Amino acid sequence: MAIAVFFVAAAMAVLGGIGVISFHQPIRSVLSLVVVMLALSVEFLLLSAQFVFAVQIIVYAGAVMVLFLFVIALLGPARELGRGRLRFQAWLSGLFVLVLLGLMWAMLQGVQYRQPDSKADMSLFGTVQAIGVGLFTTYLYPFELTSILLLVAAIGAIYLSRKRIDDL
Amino acid sequence: MTNQTLALLILLFPVAGAILLAGRGWRLPRIFTVIIGPGVVWASFVCVLALFSGKAHGDFTYWSWIKSGSLDVPFNLLIDNLSIFMCLVITGVGGLIVTYSVGYMEREDDPSYARFFVYMDIFIFSMLLLVLAGNFIFLIVGWAMVGLSSYLLIGFWYQRHSAVVAARKAFVMNVIGDVGMILGTLVLFVNLHAITYAGVFKAVPHTDNGNLELAACLLLVGAVAKSAQLPLHTWLPDAMEGPTPVSALIHAATMVTAGVYLVGRMYPIYDVAVYAHGAVAIIGAVTALFAATIAIVQTDIKRVLAYSTMSQIGYMFLAVGIGAYAAGFFHLLSHAFFKALLFMAAGNVIHAMHDEQDMRKYGGLWGQMRPTSISFLVGSLSLVGVIPFVGFFSKEQVLGLAFSKPNDSLALIVWIIGAATALITGFYTGRMWWMSFWGKPSPQRPVEHPHAPGLVMMVPVGILAVLATVGGLLQTRAFGSFGPSLVNDFLAPAVGPLRWEGDWSEVVIGLSTMVLATALFLAAMRIRPWTAYVPWAQRLLERKYYFDEIYDAAFVRPMDAVAGFALRGIEEPVIDAAVVDTGLLARAGAASLSLTQSGYFRNYVLVFVGGAVVAAVILLLRASS
Amino acid sequence: MSTLNIGGSQIDTSWFLLLSAVLFILGTTGVLVRRNPLVILISIELMMNAANLALVAFSRQLQNMDGQLFALMSMTVAAAEAVVGLAILVDIFRTRDAEDVDDLSELRG
Repeated sequence: MAIAVFFVAAAMAVLGGIGVISFHQPIRSVLSLVVVMLALSVEFLLLSAQFVFAVQIIVYAGAVMVLFLFVIALLGPARELGRGRLRFQAWLSGLFVLVLLGLMWAMLQGVQYRQPDSKADMSLFGTVQAIGVGLFTTYLYPFELTSILLLVAAIGAIYLSRKRIDDL
Repeated sequence: MTNQTLALLILLFPVAGAILLAGRGWRLPRIFTVIIGPGVVWASFVCVLALFSGKAHGDFTYWSWIKSGSLDVPFNLLIDNLSIFMCLVITGVGGLIVTYSVGYMEREDDPSYARFFVYMDIFIFSMLLLVLAGNFIFLIVGWAMVGLSSYLLIGFWYQRHSAVVAARKAFVMNVIGDVGMILGTLVLFVNLHAITYAGVFKAVPHTDNGNLELAACLLLVGAVAKSAQLPLHTWLPDAMEGPTPVSALIHAATMVTAGVYLVGRMYPIYDVAVYAHGAVAIIGAVTALFAATIAIVQTDIKRVLAYSTMSQIGYMFLAVGIGAYAAGFFHLLSHAFFKALLFMAAGNVIHAMHDEQDMRKYGGLWGQMRPTSISFLVGSLSLVGVIPFVGFFSKEQVLGLAFSKPNDSLALIVWIIGAATALITGFYTGRMWWMSFWGKPSPQRPVEHPHAPGLVMMVPVGILAVLATVGGLLQTRAFGSFGPSLVNDFLAPAVGPLRWEGDWSEVVIGLSTMVLATALFLAAMRIRPWTAYVPWAQRLLERKYYFDEIYDAAFVRPMDAVAGFALRGIEEPVIDAAVVDTGLLARAGAASLSLTQSGYFRNYVLVFVGGAVVAAVILLLRASS
Repeated sequence: MSTLNIGGSQIDTSWFLLLSAVLFILGTTGVLVRRNPLVILISIELMMNAANLALVAFSRQLQNMDGQLFALMSMTVAAAEAVVGLAILVDIFRTRDAEDVDDLSELRG
C-alpha cells in the first residue's frame, strides 16, 4: 500500500517537473511546480516528517508559489519565442545533465547505508515536539539567523521594487 | 687650531661654498654668490698660509675608510712642502681667478651665475684633494673629480652644441687617464702591499724593477691624459669652449699641471723606473715642440694660449723627466702666474669685444685698453723668457739643467728640442701680441670703443702682472750661482735637492736663447710664418697634424659602429623585444581569457554544471579506488 | 540494509534518492535551457525541493532529526531568495518585456 502511494506521488512529481521545464507559458510552469510540491509533501509524509509535510504545503506551495503567481500577474504573460542566441547551449546542456544523471546513479550504487537501529524510540520522530526541541536548543543560533535573513530579504525586496522617479 | 684641523679646513671651505651655493645661492641676491664663491677659496688660502708660515709637516689620518683583508685605506692628508706649495698655487692663483670671474660672468642670469661658482668651488676642492691626499685611492678620487669639474665647466654654456661636444671629448680622454691611474695603483698594491704614500715609498727599494716600470708607465698614462700631452692632447684646444676664467684656472694654472705633480710626488718610483722616467722627458719635449708649431697658425687668441699651455707643460714634463723636480715645479709656479695673467687679460679683451675671439678682428688695442695691454705684454715677455720676468728664470733653469746634466745623452737631446721650442715660442707669442694690440684697428672690429674692464677684473690681472715681474726674484739661482733659490730650497725636503749644478756655459746658452727668442718676437711684427708660403705645411699645422682625424677614424667611427650594432642588433630586437613582448603576451592572454566573459548568464551556469560533473567524477574515482 | 519500514512495507531509501536526483536534473535542465527569467527561477526552486527530499530521506534512514531541521532552514532560505530574485526581476523587466534572459548581457568582455 505504501509502495503504491510512493510510486503515484513519484510519478506526479516527475511529470510535474517535466511540465515545469517544458511549458512555454510561465503560468503553466508555476502550476506544474505546485503539483510537484504537493507530490513531494506526500513523500515527506511517507518518510515520517509530519511537520515538514505541513510546512511544505502551507509555506512553500501556499506562500512562495503565490508570490510567483503575483509576479506573473504583474509582468504579464510573456511567451518565449524563437530560438536562442547561444548556439551550443542546448545540446551541450543536454550532454552535461545526462552525464550528471549517470554519475548520480553510479554514486547511488555504492552507498553503504548504516543499519537502522530497530530498538530506537521512533515515537517522537518527525513530530512538532522533536522539531521544537531541535530548533530551540541545538539549532537556536541558525534559527535566529534565518529570522534576520528574512528581514534582510524583505527590506531588499521593498527597496528593489520601489517606484523610480524617472518611471513614466 | 692644530695643523691637522687646518689641513681639513682647507678642503672643507670650498665644499661648504659649493653646497651653500647649490642649495640656496641661486635663489638669493647676487651679492651672496659674489661673497661666498671667491670667499671660500680665499679662506682656504688663509689656512694654507697658516700652514706655510708654521712650517707644518705631517701625515694626518682622519678616519679609516676601508679595512678589508690586507687593504687598509684611511682618509689621510699628507702635509709636506710639496703639497703646501701646490696648495698655495691652487688657492692663491685660483682665488685671483675666481674673483676675476665675478666680473667676467656678470652677463649671466642669476641661476647660471651661481652654478658657475658652484662648479668652480667643486673644482678647487677636487684639486686640493688631489694634491693633499696621502694615499693612492684619494689621489684617484681627486683626479676623477677634477676631470668631472672640467667637464662641467667646459660645457657650462650647454646650449652650445660645440661646448657639449668639447666637454665630452675632454671627459672621455680624462677617463682613459683614470684607467691608467687605477691600473697603476693596482700594480703597486699587488706587488708592494701598500696603498698609502708612506707605505709605498718605504717598500720601493725592495721591489722588482719590472713591476715598478709597469706601474710608472701606467701612472704616466694618467699624467699624460690630464696634462694634455701627446698623444692624449686633443681635448685641450677644444676645451677653450668654456668661459675664459675656466681656461685660466683649469687649463693653464692647475688641472693640467696635475700630471707634473704626479711625477714629482712619485719621484721615488720614477728614480728607479728609468725607462718610464725617460719616457716622461721625451713626451714632454716632443709635445712642447709640436704644440709650439701649431700655435704659429692659430687665429683664435684662446687657442694660441691653449697650445702655448700644452707646450709649457711639455717643459715641466721635460724637467721632471730628467730628474730636475724642483725646476719643473718652479716652472709650474711661474707658468701659473703668467699664463693665468695672459688668459685673464685676454678675457678682458674678449669681454670688451663682446665675445669676439678672432685676433684678426682686433688690432690697435694698445691705444684703447692700456692697462690690459701692458699686462698682456708682461705675460707675453714672461712666456718668451725675457729678463727680468719670472718666465726667464724658470725656463732657463729647466733648459740649463737639461744642457748640463752629466752623462746623460737623453738630457742633451731634449735640451735641443726645448731650445728650438723656445725660439718658436718667441715667434708665436710675438705674432699674437702684434696682431691683437698693435697697428691699426681692424675694419672687422665688432666694437669701436671697447670699454675698460671693471675693477674686479683688472685688479687680479694687475696682481698677477706684478707677480710675473718680481717672481723671478724667488730664484735667480737659475741664472748663475748667486742670488736666492727659495723654491729649490723649499721643495728640497719633499722632492730631494738639486742633483747637479750648472756652470758658466749654462749662463751663456741661457742668454743666447733669450736673445734669439726675443728677436723672433720682434720679427713677428713684420714676418709671416714660413708656412704661409708652403701650403701643405700650412694645412698640416692648421689641421693640428691631423690628430683629430686619425683618432676619429681609428677610434670614434669603430666605436660608433659597435654602438650602433649594439643598439639595432641587440638592444632593440632582444632586450626591448623581451620586455615589450611580455607585455603583449599578457595582453593577448587577457584578451583570449576575456572571451569566457560572454555576458550570457546561461553560459556561466553551463560552466557551473560542467564543474559539478568534474567534481562528481573525481569523487567517484576516489571512492572506487 | 537500506530499507525503511514505511507503513508496514519495506521501501528502499535509494528510490527516494533516485527521485531526488531526477528532479534535480530536471531543474538543472530548466535553468540551462529556458530563456524566460521567471521559468529559470522556478527551475531553481525545483532543484531546492529535490535537495529537501534527499535531506529528509537521509534523516529517516539515519534516524536523526537534523536532516528535517536542515530542510526547514532550506525552505526558509529558498523563500527569502525567491523574494529577492523576484524583486530584481520585477525591477529589470518593469520597462521591457520579460522574454529573454540573454538580453541581459552587457557585463561582457
